[in-house]
Amino acid sequence: MRYRSQSIAYWYFAVAMCLFGLQLVFGLLSATKYLGPDPLLDFLPFDKTKAIHTNLLIVWVLTGFMGATYYVVPEESRSEIYSVKLAYAQLVTWTLMGVTAIVGYMFGWTAGNKMLEQPFPLKIVIVVVMLMFLYNILMTIKQAGRWTVTEGVLVAGLVLAALLYLPALLEYDNYTVSIFYRWWTIHLWVEGVWEMIQGGLLAYLLIRLSGADREVMEKWLYVIVGLVFLAGILGTAHHYYWVGVPQYWLPIGGFFSALEPLALLGMAMYAYFAMRRSGLSHPNSLAVHWTIGSAVFTVFGAGLLGFAHTWPSVNKWTHGTLVTAMHGHGAFYGAYAMIVMAIITYALPNLTVNRKVEGSSVGYWAFWMQVMGMFGMTLSFGTAGIGQVYLERILGLGYLDTQLKLQVHFLMLLATASVFAVGAGLFIWNFFRTPPKLAADVLVAPQHRIIPGMDDGGLVNQKQ
Amino acid sequence: MTKRQGRLFFIVCTFLSAAVFIGLTIDTHTRFAELTNEEKLTPAVISGKDIWHANNCINCHTLLGEGAYYAPDLTKITQQRGTPYLTAFLKDPSQFYSEEQHRRLMPNPNLKDAEISDVIAFLDWVSHIDNQGWPPRPIIVSGTTIPDTDIGQPAIQASVSSDPVARGEALFRSAPPACNACHSVAPGANLAGPTLAGIGARAAAIIASPDYRGSAKTPADYIRESITHPSAYLVPGPMYSANKQSFMPDNFATDLDTEQIDSLVAYMETLK
Ligand code: HEC
Ligand code: HEC
Ligand code: HEM
Ligand SMILES: [Fe+2]
Repeated sequence: MRYRSQSIAYWYFAVAMCLFGLQLVFGLLSATKYLGPDPLLDFLPFDKTKAIHTNLLIVWVLTGFMGATYYVVPEESRSEIYSVKLAYAQLVTWTLMGVTAIVGYMFGWTAGNKMLEQPFPLKIVIVVVMLMFLYNILMTIKQAGRWTVTEGVLVAGLVLAALLYLPALLEYDNYTVSIFYRWWTIHLWVEGVWEMIQGGLLAYLLIRLSGADREVMEKWLYVIVGLVFLAGILGTAHHYYWVGVPQYWLPIGGFFSALEPLALLGMAMYAYFAMRRSGLSHPNSLAVHWTIGSAVFTVFGAGLLGFAHTWPSVNKWTHGTLVTAMHGHGAFYGAYAMIVMAIITYALPNLTVNRKVEGSSVGYWAFWMQVMGMFGMTLSFGTAGIGQVYLERILGLGYLDTQLKLQVHFLMLLATASVFAVGAGLFIWNFFRTPPKLAADVLVAPQHRIIPGMDDGGLVNQKQ
Repeated sequence: MTKRQGRLFFIVCTFLSAAVFIGLTIDTHTRFAELTNEEKLTPAVISGKDIWHANNCINCHTLLGEGAYYAPDLTKITQQRGTPYLTAFLKDPSQFYSEEQHRRLMPNPNLKDAEISDVIAFLDWVSHIDNQGWPPRPIIVSGTTIPDTDIGQPAIQASVSSDPVARGEALFRSAPPACNACHSVAPGANLAGPTLAGIGARAAAIIASPDYRGSAKTPADYIRESITHPSAYLVPGPMYSANKQSFMPDNFATDLDTEQIDSLVAYMETLK
């Protein structure tokens, strides 16, 4: 750690890890309900556990993004965070909001709009927290009078993510219009500005981990984000196929969203070549695993599995089946869960005491069990989804009778999800195994200062 | 390529795509009214939409294919089930489905009568949205695959066959609402409506029984009457009717012509 205020990141990561664990509890609970019968039907039925599951995902990933930003911005701008107090106040408000939302869902306090279930007052709290966060970050950059492209992309992604949340504050009488604008938030988040955040974090990690040349990395970062937007903005149309909008969205959605995997492939090649060119010499090879893993799993979960059902003539049959769940899991995990775990793994040796930079075998078990578990989960959802499409959509068997025939896939889902949960449990346990550095422990030693002119973040500084 | 060119590429791509996207969005706004029948957005429909949200229905069901995958898609449900059926179902789903049989059950949403009628109005409005003809074939809530059912056979085109039984079978799957959304043709497999296996023989017994108050004299008459006046005779069972009104839709007398009804009757007489 070069800057005292980077230790803020630890507490954000710690909250993110707790919520991650909780997310999985509700996920496993939801999966057992697929198997049924459900003893909790009257107290905690599927709709509640599922809403809590997805909301926790979004909240913990955003908490991770914010923690990552508090870690990255001081280094990139070479300055302490503008207000440490504000950062903690923000974290407390955010966490309280999250907990209130979950308890609220249990008791039926919900806006009932998929992934935007937060009741209106909580949506306002979210906006306020985002404003606190962005103010703090932008003031830090302003005060430092210096910013890099890497951090610029990261912060711009966060600003846009906050802006795109605003349509979710409005209500529409026409259900089709409300679907239309729901995707401005959800799709433009996950296939637009969040990918920008992922790209920024990826560039940061690659520069640190491989010592790759910053000029080159940032040039390609622009190109990749450009491609993401080129395909992703009009790609929104793949959610407009069957919801009551004009016909022309069909070919537009098919064409542009089919380009999206190319942008993601570009991102993976970007990571791979950076590593190849500059070598894997960084001692924190566990962080290298997570970083490259994220880029590769994104191509699989978002690119390949997204492409599998994005063409209108395919989507016509798969729309609204478990095929969507297959893709949603692979994509969210690869792109966003993994990139947050990458930055955590990278930062943790600096944020906690007595932790070996190269990671421990627990760390590797956590990585591989999660990756294999999630791969198995996408297979389970995928096979279930294909079965559902065939039996229910093509042959015309009833929905309920089809679901009965998918029991074996649900068992497979539960088994692979358990492997995943053990991997995640190990990651969380590993996170909390060593105590955080207190601000007093942090030595801002002169040799850690950057020599002007020499690009920061090279291996020289890292290896000591 | 230099970093400046990279940046330029990023800016041009972003602004071009965003401009096209916003342009199309504006155009789409001029079409919503016509595609979604906005003139039919009555206060009941809007209140139904709020009830739909407040009860988190979307986190079990899909509507227009969007939502969760724990419960059936409801986009066209009001075209498969009539209002009396849906009203009774929403009052108490456990009267209609059993958790032992299907391993899942919809919890009672505890809605007031007015809320139920609003939510049905909302679902009915949704079912008329012009959404590119999705789903490509009807999605039905329950229906069993048992040997001797028609599952897996290609649909017979009503227009190309002149055989009344074949035309009747095709109509059975498309009416609308499709009869097979509620009736199976397999013995013992009762869905939202009773199985129609052996209906001919059963009809003869019903006509002969003292409880029968309808005007049919032959099994064929009975079947015809069941289609055109579902409430003339009620098959016993709390899931089939309430207050002397059958849950079977009563639109067939007006929506099907005599020849179509004759074909249906001819087809049903063949069911053993
Ligand atoms: C906890 C999950 C869950 C929630 C929440 C839920 N449903 Fe259901 N619903 C089901 C299931 C499962 C079925 C399939 C029938 C059964 O097993 O009860 C179903 C069936 C239906 C049907 C079709 C019944 C038929 O036989 O045609 C309708 C209509 C329906 N639900 C409406 C609603 C409405 C309206 C809401 C919100 C007020 C809602 N549901 C909330 C799980 C749910
Ligand atoms: C919404 C569900 C539903 C649909 C759709 C439906 N029915 Fe029915 N049907 C019922 C119910 C419920 C009953 C039993 C109550 C009654 O006696 O009316 C019934 C009864 C019948 C009976 C009498 C059965 C007996 O055992 O006496 C016949 C015949 C019949 N339906 C034919 C049809 C045909 C033909 C169609 C399509 C044109 C059709 N139904 C569509 C629900 C439905
Ligand atoms: C990291 C990037 C991505 C994430 C996190 C992601 C996540 C998701 C999620 C959660 C859903 C379900 C949304 C809902 O129903 O509310 C979804 C739907 C969908 N995604 Fe993605 N996705 C990503 C990238 C892609 C890409 C690149 C493609 C196309 C190539 C794609 C194609 C689709 C399609 C077609 C659907 C709609 C399925 C349907 O409802 O019929 N996604 N995605
Ligand atoms: Fe999308």
